Amino acid sequence: MATETLTPQSIYGQVKKAGLTRSQKRTLTFYTLVLPWIIGFIFLSVFPLVVGLLTSFTNYDGLNLETIKFVGTRNYARAFDDADVSFSLMRTVLWGLLNLPLWLVVSFTLALILNQDVRGRGIFRTIFYLPSLIPATAAITAWRIILERNFGMLNNFISLFTPEPIAIGWLSDYSLQGMTGVALWGGLGSGMIIFLAGLQGIPDELKEAARIDGANGLQVFRHITLPLMTPVIFFQLVLGLIGAFQQLNLPLLFTRVGIASASVPPRPIYLYMIHTWSQIMDQGRYGYGTALLWMLFIGILILTGIVFWSEKYWVYTGATEEGGK
Amino acid sequence: MDAQRSGWLMKRISRFLGYLILILTSLVLIAPVFFMVVSSFKVDAEYLSFPIRIFPKIAQWQNYKLVFTMTPFAKIALRTALLAISTATITAFVSSMVGYAFARYNVPGSKRLFGIVVAMLIVPFIVILIPQFILYSKLKLTNTYWPWILGALGGSPFYIFMFRQFFLGFPKELEDAAEVDGCGPFGIYWRIFLPNAKPVFATVMIFATNSVWGDYLTPLLYLSNSKTLLGVALTTAFRNPQGIEIKTVTLAASVLYIVPLIITFFLAQKHILKGVVTSGLKG
Amino acid sequence: MTKQISKKLSRRDVLKLSGTVVGGVLLAGCGPAATEAPVEKPVEAPVEKPTEAPVAEAPVAKPVEGNVVIMHRGNELNQDQIAAFQDANPGITIEFVEDDPTRFYAMYAAGSPPDIYRIQAPSVPGMLARKLLLDLTPYFESSEIIKIDDLAPANNYYKANSPLEIGSGKIYGMAKDFSPDCTVFANKTLFEAAGLPVPDDTKALTYAEIMEYSKKLTVFDGDRLMQYGYGYEGAWIDRFWMNMLAETDKSLFSAGYDKVNIAGSEDAKAVVKWYYDMAAEKLTVSPKNPSPSGWFGNDYVGATLGMAQYGYWFSAMATGDLNKDGAMMLPAPTWAGVRRDPTVTATGAIVTSATQVPDAAWKVFEWYHGGQPSIDRAGSGWGVPAMMSQWSLIPQTTDFQKQAYKVLQGELALNTTPLQFNPFIGELTISSLWGKYLDQALAGTITFDDMIAGIESETNSAIKDGIDRIMG
Repeated sequence: MATETLTPQSIYGQVKKAGLTRSQKRTLTFYTLVLPWIIGFIFLSVFPLVVGLLTSFTNYDGLNLETIKFVGTRNYARAFDDADVSFSLMRTVLWGLLNLPLWLVVSFTLALILNQDVRGRGIFRTIFYLPSLIPATAAITAWRIILERNFGMLNNFISLFTPEPIAIGWLSDYSLQGMTGVALWGGLGSGMIIFLAGLQGIPDELKEAARIDGANGLQVFRHITLPLMTPVIFFQLVLGLIGAFQQLNLPLLFTRVGIASASVPPRPIYLYMIHTWSQIMDQGRYGYGTALLWMLFIGILILTGIVFWSEKYWVYTGATEEGGK
Repeated sequence: MDAQRSGWLMKRISRFLGYLILILTSLVLIAPVFFMVVSSFKVDAEYLSFPIRIFPKIAQWQNYKLVFTMTPFAKIALRTALLAISTATITAFVSSMVGYAFARYNVPGSKRLFGIVVAMLIVPFIVILIPQFILYSKLKLTNTYWPWILGALGGSPFYIFMFRQFFLGFPKELEDAAEVDGCGPFGIYWRIFLPNAKPVFATVMIFATNSVWGDYLTPLLYLSNSKTLLGVALTTAFRNPQGIEIKTVTLAASVLYIVPLIITFFLAQKHILKGVVTSGLKG
Repeated sequence: MTKQISKKLSRRDVLKLSGTVVGGVLLAGCGPAATEAPVEKPVEAPVEKPTEAPVAEAPVAKPVEGNVVIMHRGNELNQDQIAAFQDANPGITIEFVEDDPTRFYAMYAAGSPPDIYRIQAPSVPGMLARKLLLDLTPYFESSEIIKIDDLAPANNYYKANSPLEIGSGKIYGMAKDFSPDCTVFANKTLFEAAGLPVPDDTKALTYAEIMEYSKKLTVFDGDRLMQYGYGYEGAWIDRFWMNMLAETDKSLFSAGYDKVNIAGSEDAKAVVKWYYDMAAEKLTVSPKNPSPSGWFGNDYVGATLGMAQYGYWFSAMATGDLNKDGAMMLPAPTWAGVRRDPTVTATGAIVTSATQVPDAAWKVFEWYHGGQPSIDRAGSGWGVPAMMSQWSLIPQTTDFQKQAYKVLQGELALNTTPLQFNPFIGELTISSLWGKYLDQALAGTITFDDMIAGIESETNSAIKDGIDRIMG
């Protein structure tokens, strides 16, 4: 924090004068480099965070500023009496379990294929990334044509192979599956491109050297590509985890139609964030909603902490180990 | 001889399978896009009614005309593009520098600080939505583009984390060689890490540009209609007098919305993949 | 080698950076967009000239000035209209902000709520209880453009003596236009195909008849629903319930509005049961059986829906290629045989009590509700004008428009007291609970009685919270 007002030049001037040790010098360098983020954090994030935290201890509804009051931990206690909290949490865990591994495996596989010398790979990459570019409102409008229960394209396609025309409610009873399809479709592109960027960073020399040593394709993947990709896989895992627990937009889009600006998604996709959103927007419980969000924050923090703790067992870092094995 | 032939055959088969996967995946991924494009030529009531037709009865080119008459679409798009590219550039540079520091400097406090970065990723956006608005409002910065620029200047936790992860994978020899050549810490970042991180950098640029281009909530909260951005225009402009979305016109606008993105991505993706990290690696 | 490459790259990157940063700064310094709209002189509203000379009141000495922030919807007030106003009223600028509840909360929390805010009738009591509304009575009384006598009955939703006495008293706002919201649009062609007589548009159907007709109009092909009977706006469910109960002077709420009363009231239970049965028999849309096109309005225009319950405004878009010969408007159905004014929405605007520029805000308010924009709206057919003097502008060109106009006259003549909405809960509190519990009841995980108990207990808890907040 002391470095806040210092410029890189002045720090280096001091360093020279004081004749700091190597480790002190490294510490100063580190704080100089991360200074923009620290300043941004202090000035743009601390105040909103503090106010956001205080909100969760009040009876705020968005409009009652004149009569707002602190209610202690009532909002937090209330969560334990709210049956929909545990219900929506279970749906969210299920959603994550279904969605996260699928997304990781498919986007990594696609990235691996497209990292090869494939003809037209630029076009394939663009096609795979295309869904990520489509605005969500338009995406859901287009998907409705596919997922609609009574004359949607997917049910029509499946009905080609069934004796009777089928009517599966991809937007209602089977909305969890339907939404997984939409999420995978929209998320593959960004997953793939991050993996691709990682794969591009793996030196060809390492792979060639391994091949010269007699390793086959699978062995090269197992011993070179995979270990070097672990930092990227780690990143995707953490981000995917956070994203899955904070999924809000897709279920809203699955229901938000016509004039009704707020409606409740079908039960299978009644996720934690949806319950929170509904409490805030429909029930006017801003304070309670923020309390639910802070509880979610703690939950994800613990899960992420576990993933980070596991980092040292499986994630490769160039800084502490030798580069090529 | 025999082993060679079977190896050749295996290669052929795996190649064929690879293409098969690529083509099938492409078809599945393109299907919704296809429906989006054909529906953008339909009358709104025709979009999903029985019996469902894939192609419109009469192609409604006027949907595309409406996009420009119902809203100053081109002007808003240009404004959004400028803002998206500038904030993306700033945030990519700042985040890469901070990410480099987190990847390479294990000093007192650095772990804890990184913990805060990750925690910021986890904070649900709704929690800080209103307080952040109050902050910018007190600074008299609402209805300006400063919230975007200031936010970018501080770097983004998402991209900081991403750069850190990629830099972690960089072989140690890279900076050893540079240090021997007399590079300072900033020099190592600027001359070694940043150029070698071209694929990530391009990825971050694409993500960050796209996130401003398509963002709905931030412009909705911070800007008035005369200054608004594409995401808001897309969701609020194409409505009938009762306020109900005219879906097919929104689809037409979305087709126009993605065209520049597709072209940019197609051009950018080649550069993403010209990684230069290999050169100079062999010690 | 490495160094050369990286040097080249970094120099190029620096160039790129400096270029775009400058662009960003320029962009951030942009002023408001130039107005290039064709200037249209605002025409005075055709208000009937009072026979007496205008009130001998001294004209306001100093010109009204200020920046008025209006939170509204782009489809209801466009940039051209704003430009025309600013041209005619130098000194007043309009800052248009897109309607969004979160943004309203944020602006309010930051101490600067919009001066004019678009709302619907059910929000009036709650906002009044929170002291968010500016009393506009003096402005209305002295207005040359909007005459109090000329206000259609739907504007009574914006009059109140207190949050629990809506309907008369001080004027806090007015509707931009309105519709008798419970009227029904039937598709004659589908009625004939189902072997049903074409309904008589001079008589109100009963809800029981609607259910009978819906059964005939609903068509299955195996499991697939090819056509269904009845569509209604789910977000308005509690308004429908209230209106149905009001026919026999029953209320959805207890006397002090501190409790919702369904399980203990046979009447209320029967109303809810009707909607539940409609959903359970798939005669209407529900969370289990969503609208095929995503919105029942389009299902009607696409001829997959027999009856759509919507207000008069829907006549402006009710006919398309697929149902062009079938569209007809019917009076609002009755629950107990008593016809009531079926207006439950009355979208309009209010001026917030925190406004720093009340005079300028009124100017804009008056112009929007009584000036050129209101004339434009009146002639468009997308709603009934809020001022009776503009009713003559309602379009009556096509046969369908004429038929709808005729039915509309019957509804407008009803002129019953407005519904008293509950000030302690939000517009969507009950409808969102209905959606949540109906889904579970239809799935069979809870019974009908559980459903009612759930809606009731959650609503009561929301009311309790609301009272706690308002009373401080």
